[in-house]
Amino acid sequence: MQPCSREMQEMNSLLNASASASQLSLQDHHHLQQQQSHSHSSQMHPQTPNPSASHFDSATHDDFLEQMLSTLGPSWASAADDAPPPPSSNPDNVVFSYDDSATLSSKFRSQQISAGSGANKSASASAAAAAAMMLQHQLMMSRSGAADSGFSPMGLSLRNNGDFDRSNSDVGDVSSFKSPNTGGGDGASSVQSLFNGFGGSLHGAANSQSPNFHHPQGGQLLAQNYGGAGAAMNQAPAGGSAGAAPAQPKPRVRARRGQATDPHSIAERLRRERIAERMKALQELVPNANKTDKASMLDEIIDYVKFLQLQVKVLSMSRLGGAAAVAPLVADMSSEGGGDCIQASANGGTRGRSSNGNQTASSSNDNSMTVTEHQVAKLMEEDMGSAMQYLQGKGLCLMPISLATAISTATCHSRNPLLQNSNNNPVIPSNGGDGPSSPSMSVLTVQSATMGNGGVEGSVKDATSVSKP
Amino acid sequence: MYRPMNSPNPNSLKSRFTKGFVKALIRINKNHPRSASSSISSSPREIRRRYHKIKTASYASMACAVGRRRAWSRALLWKIRNQACNGGVVRRSIGSRSHYSMKKRVEQNKVNELRKVVPGGEGMDTWSLLEETAHYMKCLTTQVKVMRTIVEIHSTTT
Repeated sequence: MQPCSREMQEMNSLLNASASASQLSLQDHHHLQQQQSHSHSSQMHPQTPNPSASHFDSATHDDFLEQMLSTLGPSWASAADDAPPPPSSNPDNVVFSYDDSATLSSKFRSQQISAGSGANKSASASAAAAAAMMLQHQLMMSRSGAADSGFSPMGLSLRNNGDFDRSNSDVGDVSSFKSPNTGGGDGASSVQSLFNGFGGSLHGAANSQSPNFHHPQGGQLLAQNYGGAGAAMNQAPAGGSAGAAPAQPKPRVRARRGQATDPHSIAERLRRERIAERMKALQELVPNANKTDKASMLDEIIDYVKFLQLQVKVLSMSRLGGAAAVAPLVADMSSEGGGDCIQASANGGTRGRSSNGNQTASSSNDNSMTVTEHQVAKLMEEDMGSAMQYLQGKGLCLMPISLATAISTATCHSRNPLLQNSNNNPVIPSNGGDGPSSPSMSVLTVQSATMGNGGVEGSVKDATSVSKP
Repeated sequence: MYRPMNSPNPNSLKSRFTKGFVKALIRINKNHPRSASSSISSSPREIRRRYHKIKTASYASMACAVGRRRAWSRALLWKIRNQACNGGVVRRSIGSRSHYSMKKRVEQNKVNELRKVVPGGEGMDTWSLLEETAHYMKCLTTQVKVMRTIVEIHSTTT
């Protein structure tokens, strides 16, 4: 609060000393123009929410930052170019930069209002609100003290976001700057909390400087804040760290109490959180995935992608027709590593099924499938390639059970019944009657005999299915 | 976004991929005419080349349908073009080693494995890699669905 009031006093004094503008530095004059122009603009612009919020919502925070920087750039540059003019031409310069800063202030204020209302929703809103508040705060700070009527609307709008800041800054403070949010007037404390949000180190540096240098510091503060905000916003698209509400309008991340506050660990934590978030999203894409830990989740993702690629391979092969000709291809394919994605637990599939013996495939579909299953299970223990070859010789191919169930349930052709090979396991009912030699796929589930007593469903990964192309 | 399932969206990823893929298949069939029962006449080598062409056509049409928006589609298109030009140039960049503990090293190994599987994953950081993986998985499932439908239609008509 004290620095706040001190700054206000300085700006007033500087404003009063505008006649001696030649003594001011470049940035001082620049701020001077901003102050004077803003004092005009603030009285004229009512605070109405703008439909520009829509354009703002559609852009990512990165785009928004670039937009803001670009819109700011010309105005800053144009103002800077005019300086330092002799004092007599001050009114001209003020008028010249009036439009730019007026439009800027109105745009930012409207955006900030809409952002403030919707700040709970997205990180981009908070980023925009942060940036908007930054500029607005700058403008407000540069006001002359006379415009009390104009102050209160700004104070109102700022208070909204100030509440955010206050609640967040109660949790902890990154910067060395202490947050004087315990009391004080709403306007001042909200202003102060605004300062908290925008880089304590910068602000601390600004505060520690002598009063005369506040103006140039202010300009650099703004520029640095933009740079810092840009970097911070780039790092935190998902919202702030734990312990702070995700709707905080600040670009920086608050640390938990007692945790390290150096930028490296913060960046590291942000990175981990983002990665974890993406892993969650991926987990939803992969079927039958229950995330136990990161490594296993990654395993599942890798296997699923490999499986999908294998499916593409198989499907592109199946168009060629002629199982015999495709057998060498299959051998190659399995050696390429197709065996990885077929989650076969071929732990000895010869338990108690020898009763099915050596019936030929022509006798009945059921029996042939059973015999085939045994053979395949046996082969899979030894060598994946030979298993695939055997299957291909019969005109069959191997696929995980999820695909099998998908095929069987999705298509409406009449299908051969699904079977279980093990005597213990119940039989899955078929979709329809025993169709003619339909070219549609018939799906057969091969359950490894060592699945034990239960576990028909088992784990999807532990079952293989055999299908006829 | 809330389009009902019945009305096909002509601009969807699926439609674009299907169009491109079917065109490519027609082209392949024209260039290499084969009769339905000629499995004997065509040598295994020819069959393998044909299979490879079909597979490449599938991936290429999917990558084209996605466009250049995604890193993996760009990498895939690049690889296919290189394959067409000079028989395949594989660009590999060595991932960064991690200095962390054992658990993290294992995890990093897995991430590197994922990099190998996803096209273009070599030159990406982990976060973008995960994002690309998600999109790639989605496109792969679309690919598989369409190809399966084509196979079904083909096998029912012949």
